[in-house]
Amino acid sequence: MDFTLFSTLVINGLAMGVIYAMLAMGLILLIRAVGILNFAQGDLLMFGAFISSSLILDFELPLFIMIPLALLSFCIVGLIFMFAIYWPLRKASYPAATIIATMGASIVLKEVATFIWGALPRSLSPILTDEAGKAAILYIGSVPLQWQYVLIIVVGSILIFLIFMLFEKLYVGKMMQAACQDAYAANLLGVPTIVTIAATYMIVSVLASVGGYLVAPIFMVRNTLGTLQLRAFAGVVIGGFGNIKGAIVGSILVGLIEVFSTVSFSGYKDVTVFLLLIVFLVIRPQGLFGEKIADKA
Amino acid sequence: MKPVLRLDGISKRFGGVVAAKDITFAVLPGEVHGLIGPNGAGKSTLMNIISGIYTPDKGTVYLRERDITKVPSFERARIGIGRTFQTPRFMQRSNIRDNLLMGTDLANQMGYLSSFIGKKGNPFEEELAELMEVAKFTFRWEDNISSLPFGKRKLLEIVRSMLGHPKVMLVDEPAAGLNNKEIEYAMDLLNLAARKRGIGVLLIEHSMDMIMDICDDIVVINFGEVIASGGPEQIASNPLVIEAYLGGDDDAEN
Amino acid sequence: MKYKIWIGIVALGVFIFAIPQVLEGYSMNVMNVALLFSIVAYGISIMMGMGGQLSFASVSFMGGGAYFIANVCTNRFGINMPTLPALLLTPVVFAVIAFVIGLFLFKLKGTYFTFSTIALVQVAYTFFNNYKPIFGGADGISGIPTLNLFGYKFTSYNKWFYVIVACVIIVAVLVERIRRTQLGRSLASIRDNETAALTLGVNVYMTKVIAFSIAGALAAFAGALWCMHGKFVGADMFNYANAAQFIIMAMLGGVNNTIGIVVGAILVKVLPELLRSLQAYMQLIWGIAIIVLMVFMPSGRAGLYERVREKVGSFIDKNKPGTGKEQPHETSSKA
Repeated sequence: MDFTLFSTLVINGLAMGVIYAMLAMGLILLIRAVGILNFAQGDLLMFGAFISSSLILDFELPLFIMIPLALLSFCIVGLIFMFAIYWPLRKASYPAATIIATMGASIVLKEVATFIWGALPRSLSPILTDEAGKAAILYIGSVPLQWQYVLIIVVGSILIFLIFMLFEKLYVGKMMQAACQDAYAANLLGVPTIVTIAATYMIVSVLASVGGYLVAPIFMVRNTLGTLQLRAFAGVVIGGFGNIKGAIVGSILVGLIEVFSTVSFSGYKDVTVFLLLIVFLVIRPQGLFGEKIADKA
Repeated sequence: MKPVLRLDGISKRFGGVVAAKDITFAVLPGEVHGLIGPNGAGKSTLMNIISGIYTPDKGTVYLRERDITKVPSFERARIGIGRTFQTPRFMQRSNIRDNLLMGTDLANQMGYLSSFIGKKGNPFEEELAELMEVAKFTFRWEDNISSLPFGKRKLLEIVRSMLGHPKVMLVDEPAAGLNNKEIEYAMDLLNLAARKRGIGVLLIEHSMDMIMDICDDIVVINFGEVIASGGPEQIASNPLVIEAYLGGDDDAEN
Repeated sequence: MKYKIWIGIVALGVFIFAIPQVLEGYSMNVMNVALLFSIVAYGISIMMGMGGQLSFASVSFMGGGAYFIANVCTNRFGINMPTLPALLLTPVVFAVIAFVIGLFLFKLKGTYFTFSTIALVQVAYTFFNNYKPIFGGADGISGIPTLNLFGYKFTSYNKWFYVIVACVIIVAVLVERIRRTQLGRSLASIRDNETAALTLGVNVYMTKVIAFSIAGALAAFAGALWCMHGKFVGADMFNYANAAQFIIMAMLGGVNNTIGIVVGAILVKVLPELLRSLQAYMQLIWGIAIIVLMVFMPSGRAGLYERVREKVGSFIDKNKPGTGKEQPHETSSKA
């Protein structure tokens, strides 16, 4: 394969990987800080895509107004999601109940999006376009790269980095994790649990929704965007469960594998990713970075 | 008499923490052997190593002089290592019958298919009645397990373990959370297990009354190491032991 | 308690008698499919209700069973097996396949395992949808012969109803039997605390694999019946969304309630048909219903059906003279 094709695939793969990483990060955050496995993660991305595209297409807002409004909306969606799913179920004795509820939320999000914006996919132009209105191209040497993919990588990485710092290194993140693991102790320490949980949901919603906005010009804005979460699941597991760093690396890996396998087996790219996932799991269940699973009595 | 349970040179670290260092002691059949030490001394870790939940870094565990260090946890239960926990582990959503049957399943070991087609295990009603008379309460089979108060559940866990016909019983703080009468019944059960059934009981306890009353032999652990072993009188007067407990007022710990 | 069993049998008899009088054609089709789905849901009940393992894989085994029949009974590869032996062979074949797959997947715990079943569904779906030689690609395979029971051909949905009901009853009895024997207990111990189960002598790994194999066999069996019933198999049926639907079906009726499973399956399939006028809102109602349902499950017990049955049961109990609920009592021989 020639170098141009190779670089295009790499950039595409990295871009999709970053999107999956944003979803995956949200998944892990919800698991570690709130203790819930969210099967509606992809639909948050989808909803974010719709909100963003609506602000641009229907309200014709310039970018500098649209972005803060969009971020605000993402936070609100996150809060509503929390109140609808997490809050009533926080004491559920059947852990599967919360998971199934998120499946219900997935359906609800899809339907609400269809009601508000219709069933037809909408097209959104890339953030950077040339004079002819087509996707702007960045030239590195003689290699043409779509600006949109580059932007995804850059913006996504920055966002991931910021939130990673928040959770892995800074006190605030650790407090939020502590609040999840021992609500009583956290309360004693003066960390209001509901605030940290609400903050987590908003951050997760922003992560997913921004991903939706970034990926919309590539896939079109449609209510099936939610299926992207399945790749994020794969990334989470390959990377080693519960580990943000692992989830990010795993997701980027998934993005690259997916893109490169379209070259050879276009219809079967899902097979490549998921078969690899299964094989990986069997050989190295703890993922790339996970700890060996230790049981306690 | 050959010991029913023997630890030889057991060592275990968790990262930088030494949980066990060169632990060696033995439990004889029909004996109640105390395992005591301050909180954090490594007693529960030892229990976990014996039941196979942790693997020791060094050392060997022998059941009836058979090396079981590499035997998986569930297999150890099947060859005769029974266990009770500080907080009883029952199937919360099931009734008392199903929970007790887990014990007899272990004694029968007939396999899923035999059970499915209705093969009957060995009768256990008499044995159960005898045990319940010692535990001094009755229950209805169909009641959910959580309808029993904490103390009775702890006693029932000992009963369940005995229904499994173990050769060794690892008993973790049976007195914790029980009132005086219930502690008495627990001791009766453990005595029955040891004296009458020949089970080797390894007993973790903080209640010095129980330890002194019921144990034939005691091993004292602190910071993962054996600091003393011997009979109740020896241990009670051992200066190292007294020092480890900071004055020996055990009840203050509870 | 005994009278409850008799009421149940009578109700069942009424059901079996009345339904074919009232339904036919399309509506009977819906009922039949609902009952077939309940067989899949029973498998989920074993895995999740008893064992606490959330698996999406059932839908792929259903596909497996369906495609198996589609290939083996239609002379596609030169094999033209009569339908009855093929039907009986299906659960055996797929029990073995599920066993082998389970050996791999259960090296993972908890949510890892669940994700791996999702991966399995994706892989299977992609093959079902793309690999024409075996699966017919996106068009599927049609012209599947209907079930031939020693010469009696099931040519109408109404005729199918009886054999499907019989299968559901057999499966229900089997599942209930499992629940009451050692396998059911061991699964329950795994569900509540895996490590404690180990100390009780339960081979947690193999028990999970066994449960997975049974669930896979049941799903495959249902798939085989389904494709003979509909005379067609296509990949659309075996995707992630339907996998989720089966799980919800199982939870709806009470994942541990043997009768509730069938009720749940029927509700999920039949209710949308009855509420035709709300067609546009159907999915939304469905989604909200799922959330509401999960919220209002009383602690420790699953399912709307069980709650209703509780309320009805306690109403009956209160109003029966002389049978007030006994209070649990203890006697001490000595104070």
